[in-house]
Amino acid sequence: MIERIELKIMDSSKNGQEVPKNEIVETNVSNAARSDMVPVIPGEQVCIALLKDVTYLCPYMGAISGQLIITNYKLYFCKPSTPEKETIFVVEVPLCTISRVEKVGGATTASRATDGRNPYGLEVGCKDMRVLRFVMRQENRQRRMVYEKLQELCFPVSNKMPFFAYIYKEEYPEEANGWMMYSAKAEYHRQGLPVEGWRFTKANSKYELCDTYPQLLVVPSPASDDDLKQVSQFRSRSRIPVLSWIHPESQATITRCSQPLVGIGNKRSRDDERYVHLILEANPHAHKLLIFDARPQANAVANVARGGGYEKSEAYTTSELIFCDVHNIHVMRESLRKLQDTCFAQNPNEDKHWLSNLEQTQWLHHTKVILAAATRIADRVESGKSSVLVHCSDGWDRTAQLTSLSMIMLDSYYRTLQGFIVLIEKEWLSFGHKFQQRIGHGDKNHSDSERSPVFLQFIDCVWQMTQQFPTAFEFNEYLLILILEHLYSCLFGTFLYNCDRERRKEEVKKRTKSLWSLVHTREDDYLNALYVSAYQNHVLLPVPAVRHLDFWSNNYARWNPKMKSQEPIQERHKELLKIRDHLRKKVEDLERQLAAKQLSPSSGPKLTVHADAEPLAV
Amino acid sequence: MSKEECKYKDQQLLMYLLSAAELYQPNSLTGHHLILYSQDGENKEYWILHKNVDSVEKRYSQDRNALIFKCKNFKKYQLTIPSFEDANNICSSVEALSCLGKPSLQYPYFYRPTFKFEEDGFDLFHVEHEFTDLCKKSDQWRISSINLHFKACKSYPSQVIVPKLIDDRAIEKSAEFRQDGRFPILSYYHTNGRVVMRCGQPMTGTSNKRCKEDEKMINIILGPAHRGYILDTRTSQSATNARSKGGGFETEFNYPQWRKIHHGLQKHKVQQESLIRLVEACHDQSTNSEKWQSKLESSNWLSLVKETLSAACLVAQCVDKEGASVLVHGSHGVDCTLQVTALTQVLLDPLCRTMRGFLCLIDREWIKAGHPFASRCFHSALSNQKTQMEGPSFTVFLDCVFQLQQQFPLAFEFNSRFLCELSRHAYASQFGTFLCNSEMERRQHKVQTKTVSLWSYFLSEEVLPLHLNIIYESCNGVIWPSVAPHSLYLWDG
Repeated sequence: MIERIELKIMDSSKNGQEVPKNEIVETNVSNAARSDMVPVIPGEQVCIALLKDVTYLCPYMGAISGQLIITNYKLYFCKPSTPEKETIFVVEVPLCTISRVEKVGGATTASRATDGRNPYGLEVGCKDMRVLRFVMRQENRQRRMVYEKLQELCFPVSNKMPFFAYIYKEEYPEEANGWMMYSAKAEYHRQGLPVEGWRFTKANSKYELCDTYPQLLVVPSPASDDDLKQVSQFRSRSRIPVLSWIHPESQATITRCSQPLVGIGNKRSRDDERYVHLILEANPHAHKLLIFDARPQANAVANVARGGGYEKSEAYTTSELIFCDVHNIHVMRESLRKLQDTCFAQNPNEDKHWLSNLEQTQWLHHTKVILAAATRIADRVESGKSSVLVHCSDGWDRTAQLTSLSMIMLDSYYRTLQGFIVLIEKEWLSFGHKFQQRIGHGDKNHSDSERSPVFLQFIDCVWQMTQQFPTAFEFNEYLLILILEHLYSCLFGTFLYNCDRERRKEEVKKRTKSLWSLVHTREDDYLNALYVSAYQNHVLLPVPAVRHLDFWSNNYARWNPKMKSQEPIQERHKELLKIRDHLRKKVEDLERQLAAKQLSPSSGPKLTVHADAEPLAV
Repeated sequence: MSKEECKYKDQQLLMYLLSAAELYQPNSLTGHHLILYSQDGENKEYWILHKNVDSVEKRYSQDRNALIFKCKNFKKYQLTIPSFEDANNICSSVEALSCLGKPSLQYPYFYRPTFKFEEDGFDLFHVEHEFTDLCKKSDQWRISSINLHFKACKSYPSQVIVPKLIDDRAIEKSAEFRQDGRFPILSYYHTNGRVVMRCGQPMTGTSNKRCKEDEKMINIILGPAHRGYILDTRTSQSATNARSKGGGFETEFNYPQWRKIHHGLQKHKVQQESLIRLVEACHDQSTNSEKWQSKLESSNWLSLVKETLSAACLVAQCVDKEGASVLVHGSHGVDCTLQVTALTQVLLDPLCRTMRGFLCLIDREWIKAGHPFASRCFHSALSNQKTQMEGPSFTVFLDCVFQLQQQFPLAFEFNSRFLCELSRHAYASQFGTFLCNSEMERRQHKVQTKTVSLWSYFLSEEVLPLHLNIIYESCNGVIWPSVAPHSLYLWDG
């Protein structure tokens, strides 16, 4: 199958800018004119251009008529500048961000009667919470053409087509190659490994131990690779406890795994019990291993019926189990859906009830619960010097949220731009958060119950922390928003597929670009001018209370033109960064001069001392 | 420091005091402060200004007597005192000392500054300076000394700026026609030549009285061609109701060039109740966090802020976009009117967004304009007394400015901490700036000569840098804020 796709790509690249004939459904313009209408990125080609009779129903500014252009990467609507009005109005959505396309209005005579309210056109629902409505003329079958093209291009997976990431041809300089930013080995070395008590294992180098884990794992030294195999049989999806982070001084660790397969038979595994005890023993300071189960207790109990469960105290005598009450992916999805409804409420009377509506979505409450659990973990690791083991059901959703957030709190490296990227690469991508399923990249089935905003929630939590500690993070809000944008766009290979194994199989690193390459080449845009490294050795413990959490309007409401910042904040920040760099350089220069002065005329000061001393001696 | 943080900190402190009560000797009661200090060698001292104490709550039980001092900046201090008698004495003296009515007994009259200052804040802002600036732009105005002895209007300053073509006799008539003698005066002159004026309501009563001089004065502002708007800060219903009490509003018939806009803002009493509910919600630890947002919403505080902001936006829009002059009044013209006119200037005039300009604005539009600080800030949200004259008009204004700071992080030279400080000093201060209700009273009590100005403090070399916004970049334009509910955050000052 893949070969076939590759062939197709070869085809289109051979033809250069020209699109194969069968690809063009209908266009109103010649090829030459197209590139003027829409800014394209390397590899992007115009597929459909409707130059007139399209109206966009903007929820904020009313109906706007303009041009609708569909390329193989994005949907682009614009109202070109006219001599009278210079401002261009543009709506742009990467096709993969679109979750559903529906025909609305005008189908029957009954709905034609209510034309004013439900005009003939298309509704496009997006993963970034936007819902776009386009109105078209009924006569010339434009709608059907656009509809079919969108159905074809928006859902490459359903249609067995390649992602645009494979077609994207941007050249990033080699030194900015984002695929080189993370190496598991380098990261573990940074953490101070190898240390006594822990060892690297290659047991998973062919993904045979656990197919959703990375190749390189760190496990307690006394456990042999055979032991690991035994343990893997007792853990859901073979996701055994492995090291995520180790405290540089106390050797307290954060380890992660999935639920034990206890089941209704109340099964036990001596191997697993011994293995968990080994994790505790690797930490010289601790007497008890803290197991954080991210789920509410009721859910953990319910999982027993499905063969899962939790560590019972009679089996794991040296551990203490703590439930964190974070709800599952379905609850979170529902909460976000409500948040979307609240954000885009059309009724102005709703403004009065904004806060209580917001409360009813429970979004901030869920954010709070997650932050509270992560804070608790960080606190126990730092002040209690305890080692912790974190899991939920499968250990790839809530577990990733909790481990990565507590690592941000504990280790200032993860608050730098580079460190944050490493964190995402490590805790989310390499440990198999199922981005493909949770986001539904290129998948038609928009009501798939596997979809959930787990990663978005994590980013929201990070944003909440940047609000509470505005000078502790090297990166800014724009980076977080950029990450979310490209989480859906499928422009980069970074967030494609479910796990390390799949990405390797598809040769993502070879065939696509990394989002971090983009970040790297435009680093200035994503740096926080107020960042001070004074927080380096600080453990940040945010206040996890709803009254301290804010609605992230710069992200969720960023489509509202009224929310656009009217000030050039970004430019100002860049200026400040420049000033900072300039001053830093000056300090360095002066220090160097000072050092040089102290070194070279070293005889000078000595002489004077000597001269002073002599009369005294006389 | 945020309200919540304050609270957390207090909670800490409170526990500290509870556990180490005997270490603290809280019985140092001076004339103006309650001083707590520890005796275990830590040099920890807490000074609480009596004026800052909103109320004292007594919790006596068998083994310990606790006093909770609730302050006007929403902090709470709890003390445990072994002896019942001591506790009672402290309580009654603090209670008595916290509500001294006479200004001359208050702390500003005894305070001697410990910082060096070059400028006397009382002399910084003068109507003459303002007038010289104005003369560069327009020759249609003059300074009137009609109020030199506060005869025309008790709450106006001695000198005000009025249209040049109107003589003092006409002003006198107009003053008789307006509530509390607050005749129309110039509040702001925009770069496009349009103005914002403010006054009290016209006393038309039910019989539809009119005053030729007042009509002439108002119409002359516009000139023959222009239109203007009268922004009434009451709903049209309550403006109509006011007629039965002798008040009223301008009819279109008598003021043909003016169009009326009603933008209902809440009265100071309602604002006070809202503040009380807000602070209650902030202090309430018992409720689980899930209820926080609905509590916040039901306090109505944010909608107060929102309405005030949108009223100011409306005026700014009329002036800047439509090129129309605006006259603002409510009933008395000392609360909502000032909120709107002051905020409009923050929006329109980049100068008002600098430190000095903002101080000047407060001096002119609040203190000299006769906002009754002494009555409005006599009690805050934690008082047991029933509110009568109290109202957080000034706090609402500062909150609005805070919201603007959030939306325009570069446009303000000062930071949000500065706003907190202002709010604190308005309620209880060692400085004389916010004493009394009007220029007249301040003169009677010789505030200028006997106390120190807060402005001297803010502009002194030591203090100034604390309140500057590090990412300030002066911007010359008008700023247009968003009044959508999700762009408003709770000001945790």
